[in-house]
Amino acid sequence: MAKDLVKALSDLKEQEVVKIVEERLKAKEDPLKILEDARKGMEVVGKRFASSEYFIPDLVYSGEILKSVTELVKPKLTKETETKKLGKVVLGTVAGDIHDIGKDIVVFMLDVNGFEVHDLGVDVPPQKFVEKIKETGAPIVGLSGFLTLAFDSMKQTVEAIKAAGLRDKVKVMIGGGQITDEVTRYTSADAYGKDAVAGVALAKKWAGVK
Amino acid sequence: MTAFVISFEPVGRRGKCRKNESLLACAHRLGVGINSICGGEGTCHACRVQVISGAVSKPAPSELEAFSSQELEEGWRLACQTYPASDCKIAVPTDSMTTTQRIQVEGLEAKVSVEPPVRVYRLQLAAPSLETPQADADRLLGALGRRHGVRCAKIDIGALRTISDQLRSWKWKSQAVVRNGELIAILASRNHHLGLALDLGTTKVAGYLVDLSDGRTLAAKGIMNPQISYGEDVISRINRAVKSPDGGVQLQKVAVDAINELCTDLCAEVAAKPEEILEAVVVGNTAMHHLLLRLPVKQLVLSPFVPAISRAVEVKARELGLKIAHGAYVHVLPNIAGFVGADHVSMLLATDAWQAQETTLALDIGTNTEVSLVYKGKITSTSCASGPAFEGGHIKYGMRAATGAIERLRIDRHRILYQTIGGVPPIGICGSGILDALAQLYLTEIIDEGGRIMDNRPRVRAYKGQREFILVSKEEHNGKPAITITQHDIRELQLAKAAIRTGIQVLLESAGCAEDDIRQVIIAGAFGTYIDVASAVTIGMLPSLPIKRFRQVGNAAGMGAKLALISLKSRARAEAVASTVSYVELASNPGFQPIFMQASYLGRYRFVDGRREKSTDAD
Repeated sequence: MAKDLVKALSDLKEQEVVKIVEERLKAKEDPLKILEDARKGMEVVGKRFASSEYFIPDLVYSGEILKSVTELVKPKLTKETETKKLGKVVLGTVAGDIHDIGKDIVVFMLDVNGFEVHDLGVDVPPQKFVEKIKETGAPIVGLSGFLTLAFDSMKQTVEAIKAAGLRDKVKVMIGGGQITDEVTRYTSADAYGKDAVAGVALAKKWAGVK
Repeated sequence: MTAFVISFEPVGRRGKCRKNESLLACAHRLGVGINSICGGEGTCHACRVQVISGAVSKPAPSELEAFSSQELEEGWRLACQTYPASDCKIAVPTDSMTTTQRIQVEGLEAKVSVEPPVRVYRLQLAAPSLETPQADADRLLGALGRRHGVRCAKIDIGALRTISDQLRSWKWKSQAVVRNGELIAILASRNHHLGLALDLGTTKVAGYLVDLSDGRTLAAKGIMNPQISYGEDVISRINRAVKSPDGGVQLQKVAVDAINELCTDLCAEVAAKPEEILEAVVVGNTAMHHLLLRLPVKQLVLSPFVPAISRAVEVKARELGLKIAHGAYVHVLPNIAGFVGADHVSMLLATDAWQAQETTLALDIGTNTEVSLVYKGKITSTSCASGPAFEGGHIKYGMRAATGAIERLRIDRHRILYQTIGGVPPIGICGSGILDALAQLYLTEIIDEGGRIMDNRPRVRAYKGQREFILVSKEEHNGKPAITITQHDIRELQLAKAAIRTGIQVLLESAGCAEDDIRQVIIAGAFGTYIDVASAVTIGMLPSLPIKRFRQVGNAAGMGAKLALISLKSRARAEAVASTVSYVELASNPGFQPIFMQASYLGRYRFVDGRREKSTDAD
């Protein structure tokens, strides 16, 4: 049964997913277990996306299926069993850059993997990142940028975080089309993720999740 | 440290490598054309070379990613990441060479009345004597006024410096070239009156030599933009200009050097000299425009993408280093926005799209695709980041439209029929072939409408963790590696075509125009000329409209430059068009994301009230 849900979700079979979830709820199964299987299914979706097998619309569709799963499960969750988030992440496309497709995919993947994501949007000035970090106390920051000229904005953002005395309280990851180890050094970020899956892996590592 | 001698094979070019110079930089300095898409960042892996002998620097992290350990052992390296440590012999494989290209120069001829900004007047002056010792220039200007009624308030300093010798050697017989009250040059009486129209593209440069007296095109030639060696796309070139002050100077210089050479070649065809070119008009995208004029470019690529200037610019040719007539001017047509340039204005001008009575869509497809919609007398434009996929970039076996590229492709049952440029054995696939391949794979149900390669189809195999379709198998390729289209390639193409379709759709929606109302679709540019429109419609890149509504017009930007060269009225029109077009920024448009998702699907469809509706119109 567990495997069915993982498979049905990873194959994007919405009706089948809904049917399985309804049956399992009827059988009084622990709702958290159902959500855990759904998460595993989403992990497979993420892997298929990373290998080009799935495309952006597939990803969006999988998100919709997940939404219907959580809607079914939610009424059964008691306050205590409410899923605990893995951690907070502040994320946005840096100043001067307005590319959002890549950033949105990372936000989506972090979200379905259980992170509380604060998405600041695009063309985000350094100070806005600083304010959001202060407000949320998020220990993880993601800076996205597609343009190579965005590297300067990333650097400035990391500097602003440092100037606000927050640098040792957060881990900073950067991502975008053209990023390499050298860019990571240049911007003084902690690491870069070459795609959304790598970004999620970094966040998990930093949040201390296996 | 002594310099090392590097020889590049098989081209056989040798030369010294400077200190801290990469193989790529060394090759470019020596005139060896090695591809570099990313501009030397180590990310595009286009500059693969093999070190045959000699010591070089240790592989950089990006090279460890690009090559297997066996390849590294065989000496394979990225030229941009490798620094010689001794004399070296380097093999440059064909794939890494910037090949000679098919460049499009032909386009529709437009009719306008010839009314150039420069006028030429024949003069026979009396030689000075002790009795009439009037200064040479004064004598000439006086005669211009008396005999032709032309008053000149200014003389170009370059013309002035040569006037005395020239008048004497021509026995006081000459042609005076006047532009807007300024004497800009004098010519011998037998000289032509030539003009140069130039379409300065990111990849290609097309030049037209025009007779200013009657507007005829005397010669046309296309060359590669040599700035390619410093990065294939606009962004990497701008990066280079932003990073170091020398970068911008160098980019400008290589472009101008190439233009000068082009002028010499064009003039040679009509037994003329570049000094007989009396006026030049340049069109290009806003980045090329700024780099040529040495204007600041950083703000161009950062939101909100503002050009230094949009209106037309006139500058003395020599200020740019252009070697034409002494005081000649270069007129640069106006642009619309950071990503919609003078080339697009020029195209709207040449195709008459700007004054179309019926609803018209005009596209120039390239790495950046500019789209304009003319609807109820209003023009709106946008620019879509369609990326380099249609130029062969980011595609495993992609290449530019050069000899050996598959340019047309059909799948007939399980047979692959294709045609290559030059009719030689295939070495890769260019934009028009890639477009055909995607359409054919979709029609034969090898990929589904989501773009996924289906399992258990003939010629589909799994390779390195992803599916790919074999276009030319190893056997069919005489034992050379198979040419394939990978799942990843298909995703790149979907992104590219979705960007274009989204641009079209956003314009339609913001103008409140229905797709069916489009009466004509004008497709300009080299890529647009060679594509099979039916394939573009099959994959949903273009709206599903009857094929007869599409018009492929060739290099319309070049034609527009020609019009502006010979007609002041056309220049005024260009200015008016550029200032009335309203620009729609795509990325910040709220409709962008949902439309983009829909537009990434394959198949013929129309957008009706924002929804994708399959369409079956055959013709």
